[in-house]
Amino acid sequence: MAACIKRLDRAMFSIRLLRNVQLHNERSLSTSLHRLALDSEPPSKFTPPVKPVIIDKTQSVASLRKFLSPEFVPPRQRTKPVKFTIERKDMIRRRKVLNIPEFYVGSVLAVTMTDPHATGKNNRFVGICIQRGGRGLGATFVLRNIIDNQGVEICYEMYSPRIQQIEVLKLEKRLDDNLMYLRDALPEYCTVDTDMKPHPFSTTGEVPVNKTKVRMLPKPWSKRWERPKFNVKGIRFDLCLSPEQMEHAQKWAQPWVEYDMLKEYDTSKLEEDIYAEIQQEAAAK
Amino acid sequence: MAAWTSRFLLLRAPCFAALRTGGVSESPVLALGCVRTLKNTTWFEEHLTEDNQKYMRKSINEEYRRQTVEKLNPLKDEPWPRHAWTEGSRRVGLVAVKLGMVPVWTKTGERHVVTMLQVQDCHVVKCLSKEEFDGHTAALLVGGKNVSPFHRSEETMEMFRIAGVPPKQKVTTFKVSDNAIIKPGTPLYAAHFRPGQYVDITAKTIGKGFQGVMKRWGFRGQPATHGHTKTHRRPGASGPGGDPAKVFKGKKMPGQMGNYFDTAHGLKVWRVNTKSNVLYVHGSVPGHKNCLLKVRDTILPRRSSSLLNPPFPTFFTEEEGDLAEDLYDQDMFVYTEPSLTLAD
Amino acid sequence: MALLHHLAKACTVLRVDATSLTQHSAFSVSAVSAAIQKMTRVRVVDNSSLGNTPHHRAPRVIHVYTKNGVGKVGDKVLLAIKGQKKKALIVGHKMPGERMTPRFDSNNVVLIEDNGNPTGTRIRVPVPTHLRKMEGDYSKLLAIASRFV
Repeated sequence: MAACIKRLDRAMFSIRLLRNVQLHNERSLSTSLHRLALDSEPPSKFTPPVKPVIIDKTQSVASLRKFLSPEFVPPRQRTKPVKFTIERKDMIRRRKVLNIPEFYVGSVLAVTMTDPHATGKNNRFVGICIQRGGRGLGATFVLRNIIDNQGVEICYEMYSPRIQQIEVLKLEKRLDDNLMYLRDALPEYCTVDTDMKPHPFSTTGEVPVNKTKVRMLPKPWSKRWERPKFNVKGIRFDLCLSPEQMEHAQKWAQPWVEYDMLKEYDTSKLEEDIYAEIQQEAAAK
Repeated sequence: MAAWTSRFLLLRAPCFAALRTGGVSESPVLALGCVRTLKNTTWFEEHLTEDNQKYMRKSINEEYRRQTVEKLNPLKDEPWPRHAWTEGSRRVGLVAVKLGMVPVWTKTGERHVVTMLQVQDCHVVKCLSKEEFDGHTAALLVGGKNVSPFHRSEETMEMFRIAGVPPKQKVTTFKVSDNAIIKPGTPLYAAHFRPGQYVDITAKTIGKGFQGVMKRWGFRGQPATHGHTKTHRRPGASGPGGDPAKVFKGKKMPGQMGNYFDTAHGLKVWRVNTKSNVLYVHGSVPGHKNCLLKVRDTILPRRSSSLLNPPFPTFFTEEEGDLAEDLYDQDMFVYTEPSLTLAD
Repeated sequence: MALLHHLAKACTVLRVDATSLTQHSAFSVSAVSAAIQKMTRVRVVDNSSLGNTPHHRAPRVIHVYTKNGVGKVGDKVLLAIKGQKKKALIVGHKMPGERMTPRFDSNNVVLIEDNGNPTGTRIRVPVPTHLRKMEGDYSKLLAIASRFV
């Protein structure tokens, strides 16, 4: 019996070791995941001379997808619609001067802004978009990157005249609409090369969804991401929390909220109208 | 309850007498102090069929549209004599609706927040001469935002009928100098104010009800723990004891917070949209969203110099009808310009 | 069996420690409601020997040289570091500042002498550009910055 147990132990240990090795491999892979994945994924389509042409395309050709930037959708409140109409006009006017491309939370962006204190009066920052906020002219987005082992975030105002250029280096979505949990994740998940070249993306079809699930730093986190109110899908909770802890977090669930008809706000009709209006305005001049 | 009803009757009786000629025979009796409940409380639609109501509403709307169109050219039909702008004249103001707040940027890249105010159906309703008003200055009654006439008293309706404008939700008085009086019925527009000038805005603040000193005056209160009982949000001492032996007037105490008229002084006008009549005014203004406010030239002596040769006595469309759709302050960034670049 | 188990566990723990960020603290830190105030634990980001030798107690702010006691980027603070008092300059904090300015994941300071000269010779992390507003006073400090964001 004792021998049996011993042998079992040894087997367990070897499995453990194996898993460690596996994890290690996985980690070393994931650090250079962006580059590897994109070089290895379309090997059949890879044609070196075409690449610069595609880069040009990402900058000049707008997406053919039907995409409405979320700040165009007015919030649900008792404001007169004329306010949003006037605001929308200004937004379209600004968009005619500055190309604000289609991007999502999880995309990698590079923003060039006028900065009176920077060398050359221009400041370029590359990072992953972790949050989009604000409505109308006050719309913002937050870029995050890790530079010299220091996490840096910048919140940009989308319609500020100080913004000179917004480039999409990599167009993709993630599992969540808000990636604030990357603050508490391992640093490799938000490390972006500052000299990253734009990756070509298709202008039609569905936007690719990056289904990476991140590994977190040990607790405490800035927020309790396991709580149902955040509804985070992109975290490997199985690595950092026990099943009991996950179950405990469900204590704050509010399963009745989805049945609250007062909180329903269907914007599909509104979005259609606004999209048509924008197309019309864009075609006008 | 009975007493209350009777008092109510006494107050309302003359009003009804004026309103309904059919009820005249009954109302004097009621006014004499009858305690019976009034049986003929009427709403305008009470004795009307659905169709009739619809027709009334429609015809009233048409009537008001006609009235508004008629008044579009106040300089053509029997205009009042106009005077030139002189330093120290006081112009009329506007009644506007608060839309909400948006950011604006300056040409140096600074961000400011502004409030959007829409001037909606704003007309001069009545002109009161110096003698009629208070013996010191003339005054103009200005109304904003058309409303249904069916729930207005006859006296108010009479005023609007004389001016020939639809009834307004808010009517407010502006003291003006004698050379700035305008004929009743003249429409007022957002272009009455020009970018770069400063305005004062009066409105009723958002009501917070009866509040304690912590919320109303920002007092610190007392600790939540460390042995404190029954004293956490109280004002504490209200002044010295023996010598004055009283609480000084004006002591900050609990009481009604909000729901009173407040004025924000010296707000800069950043932009005027002449097409949809929207003013962009610096910062926040009192009142909730969609509330009606009173906008006038600032009384701050230092800011008055910003008022250089304004449209006087007001802006007339037939006089400068070729205004651009948007008037901007010279410092404001216009969205059609390219992004900011700094020299060197 | 228990010993083996422990060994395996220790292995995993070590691995996690090595990968995690050095600045991530395993204890709860106070909220970022006020940028830098008294008793805030800070991270020294220059290469001075005082700020980089390990000590059992993290450097703490014991005074902020501002009128309201809240320090932002460009404010001077007094640190208690390794049992001595030392002045420092804030070069980044966790609390979000104005829009279009960077926000950092840690509260960074650079040690300075009483005359305003930096103690170290290099700053290891990016420094916000709006620190340049006070170029005149801290030009030597800005000169040793390796990177601006």
